[in-house]
Amino acid sequence: MSAILLATEHWWDLRDLSNISREILDFLRDVGPDWLAYVVSPLIGFVAAFLIFVLPSQLFVGVYGERRLIGRMQSRLGPNRVGKFGLLQPIADAIKLMQKEAITPRGADKWVMWAAPVVFVAPAVLVWAVIPFGPNMVIADIPVGLVYYLAVAALPVLAAFVAGWSSNNKYSLFGAMRVVAMAISYEVALVLGLLGVVLFTSTLSLQGIVEWQRAHDIWLVFLQPLAFIIYFISASAELNRTPTDIAEAESEIVAGYLTEYSGMKWGLFYGMDIGYALAAAAFGSTVFLGGWSFFGLEKWVPPWLILVAKTHLFYFVFIWTRGTLPRLRIDQLMALAWKYMLPLAALNLLVVAAERLWWHEAELGDGIVYLFAAANIALALLLLVGWARVLGYRPERVPTRPRLVKQAGGYVPPGAELGGGR
Amino acid sequence: MIEGAGPVAAFWGLSVLTLAAAGGVIVSRNLFHAVLFLILVFLGIAGFFLLLSADFLAMAQIIIYVGAIAVLILFAIVLTPRASRDNGETRMAPAALVVAIGVAGLLIPAIADTDWRTLASAPALPLADLGRELLGTWVLPFQLASVLLTAALVGAVMLVRSPREEQEELEEEERR
Amino acid sequence: MTEIRSEPFVVNIGPQHPSTHGVFRIKVTVDGERVIDAEMVMGYLHRSMEKLAEERTYTQNIPFTDRTDYLSSMSNNLGYCLAVEKLAGIEVPPRGNAIRVIMAELQRLASHCMAIGAFANDTGAWQTPVMWTFREREKILDLFEMTSGARLTCNYMRIGGVAFDLPKEFEPACRKLLATFPSFIDELHGLLSENEIFIARTRGIGVISAEQAINASLSGPMLRGSGVAWDIRKADPYCGYEQYDFDIPIGYNGDSYDRFIVRLEEMRQSVRIIEQALDGLPGGPYRTEVPLALRPPKGEAYARIEGPRGELGYYVVSDGGPSPFRFHIRPPSFINLSLLKEMTVGGTVADAIVVLGSVDIVVGEIDR
Repeated sequence: MSAILLATEHWWDLRDLSNISREILDFLRDVGPDWLAYVVSPLIGFVAAFLIFVLPSQLFVGVYGERRLIGRMQSRLGPNRVGKFGLLQPIADAIKLMQKEAITPRGADKWVMWAAPVVFVAPAVLVWAVIPFGPNMVIADIPVGLVYYLAVAALPVLAAFVAGWSSNNKYSLFGAMRVVAMAISYEVALVLGLLGVVLFTSTLSLQGIVEWQRAHDIWLVFLQPLAFIIYFISASAELNRTPTDIAEAESEIVAGYLTEYSGMKWGLFYGMDIGYALAAAAFGSTVFLGGWSFFGLEKWVPPWLILVAKTHLFYFVFIWTRGTLPRLRIDQLMALAWKYMLPLAALNLLVVAAERLWWHEAELGDGIVYLFAAANIALALLLLVGWARVLGYRPERVPTRPRLVKQAGGYVPPGAELGGGR
Repeated sequence: MIEGAGPVAAFWGLSVLTLAAAGGVIVSRNLFHAVLFLILVFLGIAGFFLLLSADFLAMAQIIIYVGAIAVLILFAIVLTPRASRDNGETRMAPAALVVAIGVAGLLIPAIADTDWRTLASAPALPLADLGRELLGTWVLPFQLASVLLTAALVGAVMLVRSPREEQEELEEEERR
Repeated sequence: MTEIRSEPFVVNIGPQHPSTHGVFRIKVTVDGERVIDAEMVMGYLHRSMEKLAEERTYTQNIPFTDRTDYLSSMSNNLGYCLAVEKLAGIEVPPRGNAIRVIMAELQRLASHCMAIGAFANDTGAWQTPVMWTFREREKILDLFEMTSGARLTCNYMRIGGVAFDLPKEFEPACRKLLATFPSFIDELHGLLSENEIFIARTRGIGVISAEQAINASLSGPMLRGSGVAWDIRKADPYCGYEQYDFDIPIGYNGDSYDRFIVRLEEMRQSVRIIEQALDGLPGGPYRTEVPLALRPPKGEAYARIEGPRGELGYYVVSDGGPSPFRFHIRPPSFINLSLLKEMTVGGTVADAIVVLGSVDIVVGEIDR
């Protein structure tokens, strides 16, 4: 494995962080009983993944970066008072939230209301166990990493519903039901999109997917642009981010299932909005954008830096759409999921399966992927526009300027305005 | 089977958790809490699958049972009127007890008499083989299951449409 | 097939709104997601201005009019002064008229900035358009502070003219603003008018036909959005509007999107008017001298102006004393809201919010 990287086996070589963990574990195996190394290894993985990569990303890029960037998009400065350049703002927010009184309404279910944010944190933390940061740097390289992500993504939906129910508030319940309806709709499209990816890589493990992309020297986003777009929109919907954030910003005008939450419980929901977005961005970078590989650059640059950069780039696109686009209505979202994305994902699957069959049956060489990539990109553009037309969506017929008349008169029917008057 | 102290501890921990949660399902008064305990049971069973190295089944268990079926049951509870949400005393308690004793009487001797043996070298079923079997040997039941699910989906949508909506859709069709 | 019984339940929108329209309450009865009834409850901001005005002199009532529609105070002042001038037969010098026109159109720009920003906020655009429109509005408010001393409640018009003359910094600052404003409107056009999601959220929502609009005596962008070409600046000109060359934008179907583009275009036309007024600004006095305790002869007068929200009318009755006998405001928002039920029934609650945003109400003038 070290042949692909210039990183050496010395413990101080930071380009391959597994050197450090291997040294620590070897040391522990020498001095202590067997089970000590066994227990410590996931702890090291946790410390490395979460505290070195995730938490700083979450604090700086997430809370700070998001607020500064959205502030700049809205032509205002973001938070810049606390600490130098406002970098300590997330810490200040956390302290403020922790000292607030977390009010529980009287008729609400206290223990369930307490448990819901705890479960909601699950995906933001658990997903990082399977993301590969480098050729040797993954906490748990399970052979079903992709399905693990899907399983973990099912948990916050449940948590949101339980949160809405236990608040003993009519409107929270409404918001919670909307969240669940939206999440299960987009999950179907998400799974079908990811299935197309798996058809090519023939493996469900995330490390295997990255290896496949590196071996074939192509990123899956070029090979399957339709799947990438479906993943982006579906992940955005699962995360309840604008333009699909009906759950937390509009349901009956109060905050939906979050209404009765205050203090750190609300802080957890809000923080995990960002944490889960980062996790989804990391997963998307791994599966579609090539993970820790960059067409050979990973020999010089540490691979975990490459992955972190890609995650932040993906997350920046999330922030960008959030700052710009208005929100869609619930029925429009449902129509988008079931009528538009699901058939597109199914068509994508069909095309990809045909391509792969042809590839392996006809024993074509590996260079054919570039042909497939070009064909897929063209097909994706065609399908995205064409399917919308088939569904009856005509975007250009809306006049965006009003008519101008010179005289005040009565009603002017559309088309009769030249000249104005009665 | 994985050997070692870790899996054994995990097994006992999961057993306690699952059985306690199952007990919670039966004992808890509030129907909503009962469903939450049921979700814990599902998670425990997923843990058991992991212990048996059936990783895909564990993930599938979570996605299907916790992600979909539990949510379905929760929705069903939301739609039941408040009065029937009490999980307490019912008139069926004696009948349920009889059935439970009968089933236990069947299962416990069966479990006790079986010669449980762990295979010396049981290979974990690789996922590729599972897929090949499902779409090769067992493709007919697979397709029948999907037809059944589609029928259920269509039926649910038909059931939920109110007569007013049907009227509106008929009018739209005529207009077009 | 048995029908699944569903109960309608009442949702309260307000009086505390996340969308900043003021203290206003709608009791909406929803069945699932569709609205089947909407009842408005107003009066949360009633300050009995009309009664209080009967105790004060005519000039002392001018600050009251500031605070009815607090987002377009210059226009309010203007309407009131026109009514009293009509009652007392006072002529305003041409410089006064020109300054009044400049201020009224600047106020229209500022008010529409707020209206468009809040409307985009209601559709969920997460405050980016609000911040942009407020950036421009700040420049206009700076101009107001320069001339009248206050940003929001200007109290600038007086009976017989305006309170102070334009300071010499005003014209260069105003010209600078007018030079950049059209490009800002183009920016908003690109961000919102051509945005697919925005169009999907506002097209076909809250449709009012022209006949409904005329029958309910709507005015302003609500009326013009339905395709009725009616603008008091053209139909019944005041303050010398007949000398300026501008167009009236009218919409097509009367939905929220039409009202939005009408407001956007009105901003462009206002920039034209201000440019013409600044170019042709006459010299001379800016105000006719009027006694402090003005006693108009007995009679009544109704004066109306085209405020940013519609026809703002003032009905003043004098009994010969220093205070008005009766002082009534015809608020455009109040009349425009009368069709709210027709606009919201049949849509969803999210649509009701968008419709309310497109009506562009200010509760201060609804409740007075």
